Amino acid sequence: MNRASGGIEVEGTVVESLPNAMFRVELENGHTVLAHISGRIRRNYIKIVLLDRVLVEISPYDLTRGRILFRYRN
Amino acid sequence: MDSAQSDARRAVITRLDEWRWHAVADDREVGRGDASPRPDGRIFVSVDAWHGTVFDRLAAAMLAELPRPLHTMVDGTDHDTTSRWERAGMVVRRREWLYAVPTSSRQGAAPPPAGVTLLPVGTAEVGPLREVYSAIRAEIEATVGWSAMPVQVPPEPAGGPVDPSRYAVAAGPDRYEGLVRVVARRRHARIGLVAVRADRRRRGIGSAMLVDVLAALRRGGIDTASADVDESNAAAVALFDGVGGRRVGSGLELVVR
Repeated sequence: MNRASGGIEVEGTVVESLPNAMFRVELENGHTVLAHISGRIRRNYIKIVLLDRVLVEISPYDLTRGRILFRYRN
Repeated sequence: MDSAQSDARRAVITRLDEWRWHAVADDREVGRGDASPRPDGRIFVSVDAWHGTVFDRLAAAMLAELPRPLHTMVDGTDHDTTSRWERAGMVVRRREWLYAVPTSSRQGAAPPPAGVTLLPVGTAEVGPLREVYSAIRAEIEATVGWSAMPVQVPPEPAGGPVDPSRYAVAAGPDRYEGLVRVVARRRHARIGLVAVRADRRRRGIGSAMLVDVLAALRRGGIDTASADVDESNAAAVALFDGVGGRRVGSGLELVVR
């Protein structure tokens, strides 16, 4: 869930905004994951828009799902 | 039973410190919760979990142990998370719209009222700017309060710095009558606050300032500005609708008392 817990974190680019506050993120290795935004991002009301560079944590249970942990300033 | 569900049932919830919780199964963190107080005193909570059961358990633990009221923010289209917080006992308190305003819009353009001059970002004098900011801040605190303002409009500390590079103002003969806080980054700008002294409202000062700021952004190469507007703030909604703003998203604030 965080760096200390050893979760898989990868950078990617938001390529599609989907219903239910989900995003399709293209990772640097070319794979895409379906990601929702982390609670901390929601709490701080940081907006995620198309082409944002983001840090995604991949679900250990399903490698096609993830969570957006951080939005980089483009 | 899949491994996520199994982990969710076995996870142990622990409070790490005043503001953090986590859920651990087999030495792996499978969920966490955070809380943080805002400058206006509201405490906002958030939960991240890969499984709904862990979310529910973390939310229940946090809501049981933290002082109330507690708030959270959810994307207006995120029905799953909204439902989870509602199951935990929260109710929707308000909605704020995210507006995108094309800076090319000349909709709502009108000159400021007689005796009022618009000063672009970066040209206001610090003293009068601080005075109008303090006056407007006091008016907000005495009326609707900061808790009714969009989350992106936190109160700045009294006596704190007021940076003229972030404000455009409407100047009257002997004082500033209103201000717009705007932050531009590369090709995008955020309108953080549009405010006019209570005794000078309904004269078109706010819309004149906003249109002037949008035109300046356009000249600076910025195509779109965004702003958060509380749904219940009819004047602000009319202002942004009036300058051609489009609603491109929304956020819900939920609360449990």
